[in-house]
Amino acid sequence: PHDTVEKKAALCVLVDSREISSGADVISSLKAVHGVKVQVCPLSSSDYIVSNRMAVERKFQSELLNSVNRSKVTQRIQRLQGMFERICVIVEKDRVKAGETSRFFQRTQYYDGVLSALVQAGVRILFSSCQEETASLLKDLALLEQRKNAAISVPVEVEGRRQEQLNFYLSIPNISYLAALNMCHRFRSVKMMINSSPLDVATGAQVSRQKAEEIFRYLHHGCDVQLLPDSLCARGKSHAPARS
Amino acid sequence: MTTKANFPAAAGSVVVPYGHVVGNEKWRGSEIAQRLQGKIKLIFEDGLGLVDFHLSNKICILYISEADLVAGDDFKRRLVRFRNANSLGGIVIVERTQISDQYFIAVQKLVVLELGMVLLPVANQAEASQLITQLVREQSKDHNSNPFLRKQCSQLLEPSVFRTVQQIPGVGKTKALLLLQQFGSIHRLCNASVEELEVVVGQTVAQQIHTFLCS
Repeated sequence: PHDTVEKKAALCVLVDSREISSGADVISSLKAVHGVKVQVCPLSSSDYIVSNRMAVERKFQSELLNSVNRSKVTQRIQRLQGMFERICVIVEKDRVKAGETSRFFQRTQYYDGVLSALVQAGVRILFSSCQEETASLLKDLALLEQRKNAAISVPVEVEGRRQEQLNFYLSIPNISYLAALNMCHRFRSVKMMINSSPLDVATGAQVSRQKAEEIFRYLHHGCDVQLLPDSLCARGKSHAPARS
Repeated sequence: MTTKANFPAAAGSVVVPYGHVVGNEKWRGSEIAQRLQGKIKLIFEDGLGLVDFHLSNKICILYISEADLVAGDDFKRRLVRFRNANSLGGIVIVERTQISDQYFIAVQKLVVLELGMVLLPVANQAEASQLITQLVREQSKDHNSNPFLRKQCSQLLEPSVFRTVQQIPGVGKTKALLLLQQFGSIHRLCNASVEELEVVVGQTVAQQIHTFLCS
């Protein structure tokens, strides 16, 4: 009913490049049905980013039914917990393959355990029956985040010098793609970013104060090169001059 | 203040003994109650109002059956009233069956996106009892055993810093190491003058670094 209001500001969603093959209908539906601006990027850590603070993982129901994928699933969520303030998992029904009439879903204790643990960890869970429905949920999430002033608001395409800056920012531990993108656009230079106070980092990168302090500490960390694993710098170490 | 509400959402705070579930009297004898027996300690209480089960002092369950969904919007009013009256975490368990499937999308939108509560679908009361059992187990577990929470292990920052410095155009492993030996931190490196950089990495790269940082 509020479609006219909702369409005022263009919604933007970032999609991990791997979703092109596994979620083609999600992407096309986001664009064609919902008019969302979709930018495909090498996100690697999450499947989607719908706002400055929210990452979305798309999981097939079958991936959560048994412990086969346990470490893969938990590692990804754990990693996202360190990068984003909010995480949402969309549990999508498995596709019915050609020839199958319908797939019988046998609920397992493991599945209930995963859901319980996700709830307990504060991860949001949404359920979807198909890729088109997943697209609709992603749009809803992006819209909700927009209402809370967390929408993606910087240009999402990066080229040339900005790409180099982006790569630099992305190497900061536990930084989200979007925080790095915000840094690219909101600080006039890398030097300015590095000289910022935690409060400026929070405002510029659109991250929590806690995350901003973590970034600040990283940039100021006095690096003891003796602590670098030999494998990383074997070549340089042998003829490096003593530290002054 | 509460005269208007026929059902107080939760009259005061319900004390849930450790490892127990407090169920609304109306569930006595139900399939859920029967199936929970032997798995968790279920005790019934009157006057839980809108809540069906209390899993702990902080978390409770509201159950929406297929019949509730078909019957109309009463359940929505119940949810909104719960949300407005409570600071408790509410988990909504909803029966998603062939008949009620058509309502699911709208219910999910209301519960999760608008009310900010948790929604978990089940096919029937048997599935609900299994889910509740797992929710209770998760509740009583040590917080640290949750696999989806970030483990606070402090990792060495050195390898990351080394990698970050190598993202500067013109700087590879060898020069990154020299720069870190000389300046120590990213912050100090970034505030070094071109002259200071030149001593470490030579004129060309010093200029490259300067351009990258300042443009």
